[in-house]
Amino acid sequence: MRNSFTNNNIKLEEFDALIKLTTEMAKSLYPYIRQILYSRDDLIRNPNAWNEFKNRYIELISERFNTNSMKVKRLLDPSTNDEFFIKIIFSLALCISEDGYLKLRTTLLNY
Amino acid sequence: MLQNKFLFNQSSVSLEIIGLPDYSNDENKENISIISQWKLMIIDKPVIEGNLDHLKKIMTAFYNYSSALLNDEISLYESDLIDIKPENSYSHILLLKSSKPEVKPLKFRIGNSILADIVNCFDQLSSSNRVKIIYSKNFKSLKNKKYLYSFDTKNISNFLLPPLFSLCSIFIVSSAFIYVYERNNNKDISSLLNIKNELVSIKSIIKLL
Repeated sequence: MRNSFTNNNIKLEEFDALIKLTTEMAKSLYPYIRQILYSRDDLIRNPNAWNEFKNRYIELISERFNTNSMKVKRLLDPSTNDEFFIKIIFSLALCISEDGYLKLRTTLLNY
Repeated sequence: MLQNKFLFNQSSVSLEIIGLPDYSNDENKENISIISQWKLMIIDKPVIEGNLDHLKKIMTAFYNYSSALLNDEISLYESDLIDIKPENSYSHILLLKSSKPEVKPLKFRIGNSILADIVNCFDQLSSSNRVKIIYSKNFKSLKNKKYLYSFDTKNISNFLLPPLFSLCSIFIVSSAFIYVYERNNNKDISSLLNIKNELVSIKSIIKLL
């Protein structure tokens, strides 16, 4: 899915390290993550945080992913990508505990 | 006897645990090993409270429901105390059933933000050294992996049957050709023998003459 000509497979240690990094970032960014979730829960009265997050995320996908791929096109489709984005933010919100690393790892392996 | 009280906060949710230390085990006086009461307070929502069994059931409900949501499983959770079901991708309906028969079930709606706060409050409680462990988490792994299903007997037969069938058909067809080739070869040899016999007979005729 990445916009790259080389197909580098990630090692298990690198995968674990990335998950640890993500959980640590999620811990410190929880107020923002919660604000985005709350904005999606109450989109009519408070749409700013959700719209800003969604626009930036779509921008990053367009920049770094292969937009000719059908999977990426589906991610960029505004009619279907809401559920996927909610799941990403919700997964981050649930992995801020001490064993959040294990929770996120299990979620990703089960995906 | 003075009871200990701990408060676990996460944004819009607070979890209050009230209880006593286990003096028979010489525990620290500030710890809680025997939970006598708990309260889950959510902003703009009714307070949920009960005894230790209720807390265990509610924690199990929230953990199972949230993991089902993340793993794309059917996320409806039902028990004798609490039902949680998704309304859409960003809101969930909670139905709390009281153990007292005269109290009607309480139904209210929570968003993903409150659900995350509740689960994080329970996480804080689980990881706290000062409260005895109530709920032991188990992380289900590799349950939904699609590649596991590729080892089904049905899939194996689908995978192995076509090449086996093609090998058999190749063998049958090639054996038929071998038979035809042998017959042709025999015919050639017999014709050569006939010619040789004719030549011998001609030679003998010439000798006689």
